[in-house]
Amino acid sequence: MSEPREAPYSRAIPTPTGGPLVTAFGVAMLFAGIVTNIAASVIGAIAFAIGGVWWFREVFPREQLEAIEPTGGQSEVLPPPLPDREAPSKRLVLPVEIHPYRAGVLGGLAGGAAMAAVAAAWGIVKHGSLWLPINLLAGAVNPSMAALGEPELAAFDGGWLAIACLIHLVLSIGTGLLFTVALPMMPRRPMLFGVVVAPVILTALSWSTMGIVNPALEEFISWPWFVASQVAFGAVCGFMVNRFEMVPTMRGTSLAARLRVERSDGGGEPS
Amino acid sequence: MSTLTTRPAEVGAAVGGEPLATRLHRWAVTVDHKRLGIMYVLSGLVFFLVGGIEASIMRAQLARPANDLVSPEVFNQLFTMHGTTMVFLVGMPILLGMGNYLVPLMIGARDMAFPRLNAFGFWLFLFGGLLLYFSYIGAQGLYGTAVAPDVGWFAYAPLTDRTFSRGNSTDYWILGIMVSGFGSIATGLNLVVTILSMRCRGMTLMRMPLLAWMMLIVGLLVLAALGPLTAAQVMLLFDRNLGAHFFDPQEGGSAVLWQHFFWFFGHPEVYILVLPAFGFVSEIIPTFSRKVIFGYPLMVAATVAIGFISLSVWAHHMFAVGMGPALNAFFSAMTFMIAVPTGIKIFNWIGTMWGGRIRFASPMLFATGFVAMFVIGGLTGIMLAMVPFDWQVSDSYFVVGHFHYVLFGGTVFAIFGALHYWYPKAVGRMLDETVAKWSFWLLFAGFNLTFFPMHISGMLGMPRRIYTFQPDRGLELWNVLSSSGVVLQAAGVILIVWNLLRSARKGAVAGNDPWDAWTLEWATTSPPPEHNFDVAPTVGSRRPLWDLKHPEDPDGRYE
Repeated sequence: MSEPREAPYSRAIPTPTGGPLVTAFGVAMLFAGIVTNIAASVIGAIAFAIGGVWWFREVFPREQLEAIEPTGGQSEVLPPPLPDREAPSKRLVLPVEIHPYRAGVLGGLAGGAAMAAVAAAWGIVKHGSLWLPINLLAGAVNPSMAALGEPELAAFDGGWLAIACLIHLVLSIGTGLLFTVALPMMPRRPMLFGVVVAPVILTALSWSTMGIVNPALEEFISWPWFVASQVAFGAVCGFMVNRFEMVPTMRGTSLAARLRVERSDGGGEPS
Repeated sequence: MSTLTTRPAEVGAAVGGEPLATRLHRWAVTVDHKRLGIMYVLSGLVFFLVGGIEASIMRAQLARPANDLVSPEVFNQLFTMHGTTMVFLVGMPILLGMGNYLVPLMIGARDMAFPRLNAFGFWLFLFGGLLLYFSYIGAQGLYGTAVAPDVGWFAYAPLTDRTFSRGNSTDYWILGIMVSGFGSIATGLNLVVTILSMRCRGMTLMRMPLLAWMMLIVGLLVLAALGPLTAAQVMLLFDRNLGAHFFDPQEGGSAVLWQHFFWFFGHPEVYILVLPAFGFVSEIIPTFSRKVIFGYPLMVAATVAIGFISLSVWAHHMFAVGMGPALNAFFSAMTFMIAVPTGIKIFNWIGTMWGGRIRFASPMLFATGFVAMFVIGGLTGIMLAMVPFDWQVSDSYFVVGHFHYVLFGGTVFAIFGALHYWYPKAVGRMLDETVAKWSFWLLFAGFNLTFFPMHISGMLGMPRRIYTFQPDRGLELWNVLSSSGVVLQAAGVILIVWNLLRSARKGAVAGNDPWDAWTLEWATTSPPPEHNFDVAPTVGSRRPLWDLKHPEDPDGRYE
C-alpha cells in the first residue's frame, strides 16, 4: 500500500469500516431490550455509542478514502458523434400515422351520449323512469342497491346521478381512446370494428361479469336493449374517430419539433 | 478534504486464497454497494427458503379436510411469519439489494451516495429480521412457552391488543419490522440521492435505464410509506406497553384507524415490491428481443403515475369495513385508474417483443412468465376493485390467489429472471442454462397449480387464514391441487439454489457482456472491480453499449 496522500482521485472509494455494523447492532439491541431484558438495551446503547463514534471518525475531520489502481479489461464508454438527422436511416419507425387522441376523447363523449340516449329510452319505455338506468349504473359502487325495490331505484337521487355520470364519462372517454388505437388496425373497414366487433366484445364481457360487478343492474337488465346501446356507442364513436385525419407520430424528431416550437424539417421559422 | 490511500483492486480470485475469517471480515466491514447488494440478496434468499418452508407446512395442513398436522395456534403463527417474512425480509431486501448492486453501475457511478449509510441500512434489515425470528425462542406466549407472532402480517387491531394477544410475540413483530424498516428508509434515501446526483456525464434523466427510474420511484415510495408505518407501530407499542388506547375501540380509540395507517403503507408497499420487478423486465425483454424498449417516455410517465396513484388506493383493502359509498367509490375509481399506467407497461413490453428476434434464454423465460402471471394478477385486481365483487370474495382464498399472482407470479418471477440475467455480471460465471430452464418450468407449473385453484376455492367460499375445512364443502379437489403444486415449486427453487451455488465454481466464464446487452454495467468487468469503472463513462443515448458497438447507427439520433 502506498503512502497516504490528499487529493480528489477519480477512483477513490470509502475505506471499509465496522462502524455501521456496530451502530446497527446497537439499534437492534436497544429495541430488543424492550422484549427481553433491560441489559440488552444497555448493551445496545453502548454498542450504538461506540459504532456512532467509529462511524463519525470515518468522515470527520477527514473522510477516509482509498484510491484503487486501474484493473483494465473494461470497455471505455464514449458516445460516437451523431450522424446528420437528415441522412438516410436504416431504421423503420412505426407507426407512421395515428388518430389524434382528441378524436378518441370527442368520439367517446359523442358515443357516450348516444349510449345514454338508448339507455334513457329503455328506462322510459320499459319502466316509465328516466332515473332507473342512471341509478342502476351507480350500483357498480354500491352493492347494497341490489336490495332496493324498483320504486326506490326509479326515483331521482342527486348523489347517484353524479356517480353514474362520472362512471359513464370515464368509461366513455377511455373506450373512445381505445378506439383511436384499435381503428387503424382495421384500416379498410373501421366501422366494422365500431358497429360489430366492439359491441360483441363489450357485451360478452358485461354478460359474463355483470352478476358480480353490478348485481343491481343484472336484476333489471334487458340484453337486447343493452346490445343496442353498445351498437349506438360503437357506431357514433367509430364514425367520429374515423372522421379525424390521421397525424404523423413524429417519432425520431426532436422534442422542440414535436412541441411545434420549431419545424420538423429542421429549418424555418418557429411557429 | 479527505485522507487517501492507494491500493490494487481486489478482484474475485485475488482474495480467494485468504483465510475464511479474513474473508468474512471483509464482507462485515464492507461499504461497497456491490457486496452489500449481494449480502441483501443472499439474506433475502435465506429468508425466502424459511418463508417457503412455512408456506409448505400450511399447504400440507390444508392438503386434506379436517387435518391436524399443525394446531390452529401454530397455523396462525405460520401465516403471520410467512407473510411478514415474504414482504419485509424477502421482497424488500432482494429488490433493494439488486437496486443497490445495479443502480450505481447502470448510471456510471462509483458507489451509492452514502456508502456507510448503505451498510447501516443492510445491517439494520438483517438484525431486524433476526429479532423477529428470535421470537420463536424468546417470546412469551399465553402459557409461558415461546411463540412467534400470530396476528397476521397486517396485525389488525384490536387483535393486537394485550387482551387478545398475551405475552410479547406481537411486540417482537412490531420491533423486528420497525428496525428492519429503518434500514429500508436508509436505503430508499440512498437510492434517491444516488440517482438524482451521481449519474455519469451525458446521462440525463430521460437517458437513464428504466430500472434506475423504477428504483427512483421506489426510493420515494419507501420514504413516503415506511414513515407512517413506523409511526403506527410506535403507537401500537404504546397501546400495548404504556396504556395508550389509539387502536382500542372500548377506550375511545379506533381499530379502523390502524387499518388506514397500515394500508397507507401496505398498498404503496405492493408497488415498492413490483416496480423494481417492472424495471428488471424492462431491461431483460429488450435485450432478448433485440429491440429498444417500446415507448420509453410513456414507460417513465407510467412509472411516475403509478408512484403518485399508489398513494391514494390504500382503502380498497377496506371495502368490507363499511366506509360508506362515497369513500368506496373514490378508492374504487383510483384503483381502476392505476390500472391504466400498469396496462401501458404491459402493452409496451408486448410491443417490445412484437416483431423482435426473441431469444428464450432463461432470463427471458422468467420475464415472459412474469408478464403472463402479472396480467392475471392485475385482472383479478381489477375485479377486486369493484366493490360489489370485493364484498363477495373479501377475505377469501380468491384474494390469496390474486395477490400471489401479483407478488409471486409477478415479483418473484422477475427476481429470478433478474438473478439469471445479472448473475454472470456479479459472479463472472454463467448459470447452467439447462438447469435454469428446468427450474423455470417446474416453478411455472407448480405456481399455477398452487395458486390458480385458489381463485375457485375462494369463489366457493373458502375463507383465508383458516387452518382447516370440513370435507363436505366441495373444497377438497382445489386444496389438494394447491398443495401438490408446492412440490413442483419446491423442486424448482431447489434447482435454482443448486444452480446458483454450483455455477459460482463450475459455470462457464461469462466475460464482460455475455448477453450482448446495452446498458453500462456490461461495459465493466465481470465481476466489476470495487471502483466499478477505470474511466468514468460518458453516454450519448439510452443504450451506450449499442452506440459503442454500432458507431455508424447510434441511438441518440432517434431519441
